[in-house]
Amino acid sequence: MRSVTLNIRLFFQGALLSYVALFRWLSPMTYLASKVLMPLAQILFFSFLGMYATGQANASFYVIGNAIQLAAVSGIFGVTMSIGGDRWEGTLPYLFGTPANRMAMFVGRAFFHVLDGMVGVVLALMWGVLLLGLDLSHANPLALGLTILVATFSTSGMGLLLGCISLITLNVMFINNTVYFSLLVFSGANVPLSTLPAWMQSVAWALPLTRSIAAARQIIAGGSLAEVAPLLWMEVLIGAIYILAGYFLFRWFERQAKLRGTLDIF
Amino acid sequence: MRKLTLYARVILASAEMSVRETMTDGFVVFGIFVQPLIIALLGLWMLRDRGGDYGIFVVVGSGLTGLWSSLLFISGNSITHERWTGTLETLVGVPTPMGVIVLGKNLANVLQSIGSMAVSYLLASLLFGYPLTVAQPIQFVISLFLTVVAFVTFGLVIAPIFVMNPDVQRWQNGLEFPIYILAGFLFPIALLPGWTTPISYLLAPYWAAQALHLTSSGGGTSGEISIAWGMMLLFSLVYVLLSRTLFRVMLRKARSEATLGLE
Repeated sequence: MRSVTLNIRLFFQGALLSYVALFRWLSPMTYLASKVLMPLAQILFFSFLGMYATGQANASFYVIGNAIQLAAVSGIFGVTMSIGGDRWEGTLPYLFGTPANRMAMFVGRAFFHVLDGMVGVVLALMWGVLLLGLDLSHANPLALGLTILVATFSTSGMGLLLGCISLITLNVMFINNTVYFSLLVFSGANVPLSTLPAWMQSVAWALPLTRSIAAARQIIAGGSLAEVAPLLWMEVLIGAIYILAGYFLFRWFERQAKLRGTLDIF
Repeated sequence: MRKLTLYARVILASAEMSVRETMTDGFVVFGIFVQPLIIALLGLWMLRDRGGDYGIFVVVGSGLTGLWSSLLFISGNSITHERWTGTLETLVGVPTPMGVIVLGKNLANVLQSIGSMAVSYLLASLLFGYPLTVAQPIQFVISLFLTVVAFVTFGLVIAPIFVMNPDVQRWQNGLEFPIYILAGFLFPIALLPGWTTPISYLLAPYWAAQALHLTSSGGGTSGEISIAWGMMLLFSLVYVLLSRTLFRVMLRKARSEATLGLE
């Protein structure tokens, strides 16, 4: 019982500290630029491009796709930087030196980014309503909220895996940016999946966000939670697979770093 | 004349150094090649129902996104980068004006970014099989040259602004897509609300996009093209004059407050 309490405390303390550490150096203006202006501009850019390509009537397709895709801002950039931050700030040896439960420590890094990501997606949908006429009147709020939670969970799973890679590479921003922008193509945010070649569709279904975006579109069109449940369950499974893959990689890196004495060598 | 030769040598040396540094930086490689490539891929996919004629429009537009992103993040940080690497004091101490050194760095960045247009061109041509022809090749080359001049001089303005005003630089992340939108890189600004049009007219990237799209896709009158060229020249001149003042103020402020190497 005591170990469960300890692990829960570790989870929340680690989650809070890593989040505060990541954003402490940011002024409110940097936060607003990265989390409000950039997402708004991205939605507007791809929605206008989509409307130019296929007509004003399809605006909601692009608004919803890009709003949900913004879960990746927190899920990928935030989580990766939280994991990698320990290496950059020199705290990794201390963490690896403690007997703390690695799973609680590792997964805790994503916790606040899931919440932060949800706020970001809700804000993005609000921009869609205010500026691009997105109609949410047919949406079941509970189902939509659950979809947003699942989207941020699965992208954070991918972020945890990428975060591990940031422990061994210097070019983490190259990898993060490439994955983030690739999701704009593969997730179906801007291009209907059915129009992609078969191999791209296969990749798309193995990525987070693809199912959340499809589910969000169905819910906003008036679909019920039961109708999108299979998509959401699969998205949760995808997220869990990424988290487990990241966790095992994290443990493997820890073992290798200790064996070779390369814990924080760049 | 001797001074000009000396400055030309400094510009070339600074450009060479900048290329050597940036081409090994994953963030820069992403901004110049990968991001425009992905935007081109998306643009080609999204606009493909509009026919093959849009191939060259997307190639030019996505190339311009790479040009702007590199200007914003690389040229914008060109002085800050020297501060981070501890070389700013030395550069300020040499007899060559700081602006000339930054000009060389910007020139390298902008010319490298032109490469993103070539990459998009290859993508559209090889993967999508679009027949990519430039409607008015000579005018297009002139437009490209003026675009380089406008972007290089614009970089001379934003670099000192970012160094002197960290609050402005904090908006850097949020300034990338708004210019893609307002400058009409991949869709006409007529889609935007009317009140944004005067803002577009005040942006050199808008006139660059106008000139490059009109000369590559065709359909523009010589009057329209000339106006775009004239506006780019006008903005370049304004940027040069403005940058002289900004560099003077920046260096005076840094010396009097002894904050040259400090954030």
